Amino acid sequence: MGRAAAVAAEVLAWWLLLTGAWLVLISTVDALEYLVGASAALLAAVAAQAARRAMSGR
Amino acid sequence: MNGWLVAATVLLAAGFGPVVWGVATGPLERRVVAQNFGTSVVCLVMLLLSQAYVRPSYVDLALVLAVLGPAGTLVYARLLADDLGDDPPHANLLTVVAASAATVIVVAMCVATGPGRATVKLVLIGVLLVAGNVIASRALAGGFPGAGASTRD
Repeated sequence: MGRAAAVAAEVLAWWLLLTGAWLVLISTVDALEYLVGASAALLAAVAAQAARRAMSGR
Repeated sequence: MNGWLVAATVLLAAGFGPVVWGVATGPLERRVVAQNFGTSVVCLVMLLLSQAYVRPSYVDLALVLAVLGPAGTLVYARLLADDLGDDPPHANLLTVVAASAATVIVVAMCVATGPGRATVKLVLIGVLLVAGNVIASRALAGGFPGAGASTRD
């Protein structure tokens, strides 16, 4: 349970960070951009968490 | 013709000219350092040109280069670890020059842009440039022992 919570917390942190980066880097912010950015950032967050776990050897 | 365009032209001539000479001639150590410096120079030229021509989309090219330039150098550092191991290139002066130029140009562009999301993007590019340059130079100088392709595999 603790491990699942840690993974979820890390994915959430990545998701917030990457969505923020997307919103800063695009030229115009609207609802569609926000939706696309949040979706892509969620995928990238899961990948980033998996990559970091793979590299730390756990 | 404005100051940004003059600065971009001067940087392209004085910065990228020696880079072409550096990657085309001399020993391997010098070539790999020159290509690392070249990515920083082209990134800064793109930033200056985006300001000169008032085309914010050019900043995206600089962002891509700021990410992929150091990543490409890290690939070289890993694949050439055996060849660079005997006499690793120490380019501290060049790293300081690249980091200082990036800082000056990004700060000048931030002042010209004014507060807003565009400025945050510029600061992000500047941080990526400086950090990427320092990490790539350290990797080339053998600062990450055990990271070579042959030592790990």
